[in-house]
Amino acid sequence: MEDPVKILEKWISAESYIVVGKDISRVDALDKIFGRAMFTEDYFVDYMIGNALFIKQVLSTYPHAKIKGIDYKKALEVPGVVRVITAHDIPGENQVGYAIPDQPLLAEGKIRYPGEVIALIAAVDFEKAFKASEEVLVHYEPLPYVLDPLEAMRRNDILVHDERGSNIAFTTRVRKGNIEEGFSKAHVIVENEYRLHHQEHAYLETEAALAIPESEGRVTVIGTIQYPHLGQRIVSRVLGVPASRVKIVAPYIGGGFGGKDDEGPLVCAKAALVAYLTGKPAFLIYSREDSIRIHPKREAAIIRYKSGADVNGKLTAIDVTIIHDTGAYANRAPFILWRATMHASGSYEVPHAKVDGYAVYTNKVYQGSFRGFGNLSIQFAAERQMDLLAERLGLDPVEFRLRNILKEGSYTITNQLLDHSVGVAETLKKVAENADWWKKREEYKKFNEASQRFKRGIGVAIGWHGISTSRAVPDWSNAYVKVELDGSVVVYTGIVEMGQGSPVSSHAQIVAEALGVPLEFIRVVQGSTEAPDSGATHASRGTGIGGIGVLVAATKIRERLTQLASRILNVDPGEIEFRDGRVYWRRNPEMGLSWRELVREAYARGIELSATGYFFLPKGKFDDTIGQGFAYPAYSYIVLIAEVEVDTWTGDIRVLRVYPGLAAGKIINPKQVEGQIEGAVVQAIGYTLMEKLYFDDKGNIVNTNFTDYVIPTAKDIPEIYKPVFVEDKYRYGAFGAKGVGEMAMIPGPASIVNAVAFALGVNITFTPLTPWSVLELIGVLKGRCST
Amino acid sequence: MMYVIPEDIEFIVPVDLREALELINKLNNVKALAGGTDLVVDLKTGRFKPKYVVYIGGLKELRYIRDNNGSLHIGAVTTIQEILDSKIIAEKAPLLRAATEKFAYWQIRNTATIGGNLCNASPAADTAPPLLVYEAIIKAESVRGSRLIPIREFFKGPRQTALERDELVTEIIVPYKDLENSGYSYFKVGRRRGYDISLVAVACVVKVEGGVISDVRLALNSVAPIPVRAMNVEKTLIGKKPSLEIIEESSKLVVYDISPISDVRAPIEYRQYMAKLLTREALLEALKKTGVM
Amino acid sequence: MKVKFILNGKPVELDVDPRETLIDTLRLRLKVKSVKRGCERGECGSCTVLINGNPVVSCILLTIQINGAEITTVEGLVGDILLEKLAKNFIDNGAIQCGFCTPGILLTAYAGIKQGKIKKSEDVKEYVNNLCRCTGYVKIIEAIAKTANEVWGHER
Repeated sequence: MEDPVKILEKWISAESYIVVGKDISRVDALDKIFGRAMFTEDYFVDYMIGNALFIKQVLSTYPHAKIKGIDYKKALEVPGVVRVITAHDIPGENQVGYAIPDQPLLAEGKIRYPGEVIALIAAVDFEKAFKASEEVLVHYEPLPYVLDPLEAMRRNDILVHDERGSNIAFTTRVRKGNIEEGFSKAHVIVENEYRLHHQEHAYLETEAALAIPESEGRVTVIGTIQYPHLGQRIVSRVLGVPASRVKIVAPYIGGGFGGKDDEGPLVCAKAALVAYLTGKPAFLIYSREDSIRIHPKREAAIIRYKSGADVNGKLTAIDVTIIHDTGAYANRAPFILWRATMHASGSYEVPHAKVDGYAVYTNKVYQGSFRGFGNLSIQFAAERQMDLLAERLGLDPVEFRLRNILKEGSYTITNQLLDHSVGVAETLKKVAENADWWKKREEYKKFNEASQRFKRGIGVAIGWHGISTSRAVPDWSNAYVKVELDGSVVVYTGIVEMGQGSPVSSHAQIVAEALGVPLEFIRVVQGSTEAPDSGATHASRGTGIGGIGVLVAATKIRERLTQLASRILNVDPGEIEFRDGRVYWRRNPEMGLSWRELVREAYARGIELSATGYFFLPKGKFDDTIGQGFAYPAYSYIVLIAEVEVDTWTGDIRVLRVYPGLAAGKIINPKQVEGQIEGAVVQAIGYTLMEKLYFDDKGNIVNTNFTDYVIPTAKDIPEIYKPVFVEDKYRYGAFGAKGVGEMAMIPGPASIVNAVAFALGVNITFTPLTPWSVLELIGVLKGRCST
Repeated sequence: MMYVIPEDIEFIVPVDLREALELINKLNNVKALAGGTDLVVDLKTGRFKPKYVVYIGGLKELRYIRDNNGSLHIGAVTTIQEILDSKIIAEKAPLLRAATEKFAYWQIRNTATIGGNLCNASPAADTAPPLLVYEAIIKAESVRGSRLIPIREFFKGPRQTALERDELVTEIIVPYKDLENSGYSYFKVGRRRGYDISLVAVACVVKVEGGVISDVRLALNSVAPIPVRAMNVEKTLIGKKPSLEIIEESSKLVVYDISPISDVRAPIEYRQYMAKLLTREALLEALKKTGVM
Repeated sequence: MKVKFILNGKPVELDVDPRETLIDTLRLRLKVKSVKRGCERGECGSCTVLINGNPVVSCILLTIQINGAEITTVEGLVGDILLEKLAKNFIDNGAIQCGFCTPGILLTAYAGIKQGKIKKSEDVKEYVNNLCRCTGYVKIIEAIAKTANEVWGHER
């Protein structure tokens, strides 16, 4: 049996599992505890101090300017400086644009945001590189610039990218049914403009890469990257060498959240460029300030949302305009915008929908991947609308949602039929029960009538998130598994470990399940281009999709060993069990042999014990011009109920409790999944209450450090309850798993803001809810506090 | 590694206070380094570029907490955590303790010193409001001798103090005798519940004798170029019978004591509003502790 | 400038540039890799080390400031009973994700429990304020509280 679909079916329909679904501890834990787990800078520390050149980046100080010349003579005179590299020195193509070829690795001709990289200094140590960087004179001709996306949309006299003729980088649309007809049937209509802000990833490890030149013009790069094979393609393009000569290794990564998906290939390419041009190892690490200035952010968004519902509490139509502040480069803007567009309805049935999306260039840091990927802001708008409509209809928010919720047989706003794996309704009901929703709504209403100073609220929000790439964009899973003669197993995957644990827990679990061997037999070689291209570690795909290749490869080996064992034991192959390092006859477990013995036999009898696992996700047709058709293979769903207390004297919001529920197919490791939910909930609290990037009038980020970009601490967290799991298995996921990593981030802000709006009895259309903006909302303060 | 302290700065580690004083007398453009939690960052980011840095944080003779005649004497390089952990402080100067409790986080408190916090002269200095309330006296020493500077004369502007170029702060004297049997309170707000730079903090002490307010002292940080006493509020309260009305009215006057700005941390409107609110709350809380209200 | 200190029980004598921060001395010269570079301005706690048993951040501390002190990092606590307890509870409770903040948090918790500052759940939030961007702190706090309870539980 080598057909991956059959393999997937077999495992999904298994009656019970040995390790899948259990709280297995991660294999990397001890190494991380004792500082032995190697992060990128650790390779520099251990092997390269004194050998590697140190790279310092020269950043632009203008939002928009022509580069008339770069004078780095003086920089070269600094002792210890080996080379200064600018766009002219790039041997291959100076083009790193992800979706649109609009972005150079090193600025060429003009710069488009403050923080854009203009030159690389390579010196024998950091201090010399740093000194030299201050000696680089960039002759700018400042250009008029545009920071506000609405202004940028209107103006054609200031163009971030002249050759494109407009600041609108990309547009999307959905046209389903007829919204005039839909709104005419509506009993209530709600219309709002929502404003969501940028978010900085604030991973504790900044970006870094160590590039080592090797023989035959090859280069190896160890770097903070979420998709080694993408890094390989970019490095290959920049250097003008075949991809086969570029090896990328993602060691342990100190947090990614999407940021190292975008910046990873670029930091690798910059280090590789220096190594390639100088013939010496080269090391680049971003200071925190550089990291915040340079790397892409969660997009700021303006969303105009009109929606209507009829007397029966059924949604009739939505009319949505989404404007993303894309910043200087498109990067993933089209994909982020498509995701927002196709999820604009929320997880509800909407018969008539019109959605228009605009990705708009501005002279600011550009947008990129960040947990939720365009979906956080649109779910914020959609979920606020649901509460407002429910209020107007006099319906309970949970009840109103249940009347419209997606279920098996529903059609999405892209008119995609959801034929299976839609567990959201059940999840919502269970979470509402868990949280004692109805009772608390009443209780808090009474509390708020009696209480002057403190107001309490409870709010619900749902997130849905298409798994895999959107539309017909190809997606696949690929891995390689081999069994050594001593029975130990090596797994090669391109999926990286950045905290989420897919390679170090779930991949190991998948192999342990498939081969019935103890976890200590298994080593996962992760995050390397030496492994097959497994796709990126993003889009919550590391386990559910990334794990498919691993499962298929391991199952192929299991099948071969099953045949062998059946011959040796002379029993039916269908009655062979693999468990606890033994292979035996199910009817009489005494009849069997150890895994090691069986492996030795296989080697002796010429049976191949290495296999690749590959699966190309089946997709359907999608019409980009009207946004109709097959959007995603399946969707994960999450429900969050949040309880808050607002101090109306100080404007302080305390999130008291959060109740999560997840419908993400099979949960392979519940404890790891809890960790993903808790981490995302707290990131969402940060986004909703305190995190914000402040820009000055020249587009510079003002708060480029953790003193003034504040993120939650242990004191800022609520009580987060154990999640409800509704295992609505997905037919093409490993064991039926969908995706988890991003989920709790998506409705997080909406759940908190819905609770605050309930507590205060006001409409809220923006984030973050700083104390001063809360005081403004309730009329205590006046002015410009919420900006 | 990612930030460079200029190499032309000379670092000197004197063996005792005398040598330290001689050094700063002799040299020009000196910064004294105690814990360094502010200064090292400032050296790294280039906010300060002194010619010399004299490290006094290791001088044991400047690290003590003593109780003497109704005053606490705290050596300048005593760490914030030592103050927080001190039984004498808890007993005699509980308001100072309350402020150190909300001072950054444990690791920083283990390094940062009280002298450093004052000499850094940040408008947001956490130890300043309680010390202003205690009317602490700052002992400055130089080769010329020593002098005592009332804390209200110590801060001259953001990052500016009354110290002469050859002087070092060696001791902070906290008179507590007058404030025994009084109520105290401390409020600090930041951008999160966890450690943060103060957006507004208020320290308060109230003494009630014979049914009237005999002494009241209020100080705030982060609402002016320097930490300030709220004299306008205090004046209206002295000699008055404590009541909700008088507290409400007097706390509004704090706006005449402060001059906040808008920055990346908070807007002026919020700081003004919170200064009033926290002044009122601080007064109420302190009065509650006296048992009067 | 000459400095002497004890690192994880072993005496060290070095001639350091006085501008050098302790994190750089530890990482770049002595290759102590558990000390992580996070923010370089004392805001995140990833570079926490113990100086004479007290946690401090090593990124804003010059090496000359710790002359004569005793420095402990997790490397020096291999085999230590309290650290092993913490480690076990961290692993069992799923308190580790990317691992970048982990050594710093462990050291802070270790010192807190050892000094009796952390005896129960509420103490954890007062003393362990290292930043973590992955876990949301829930499992970390639980693991530390559990360890504190194992150590101090009998005194409650």
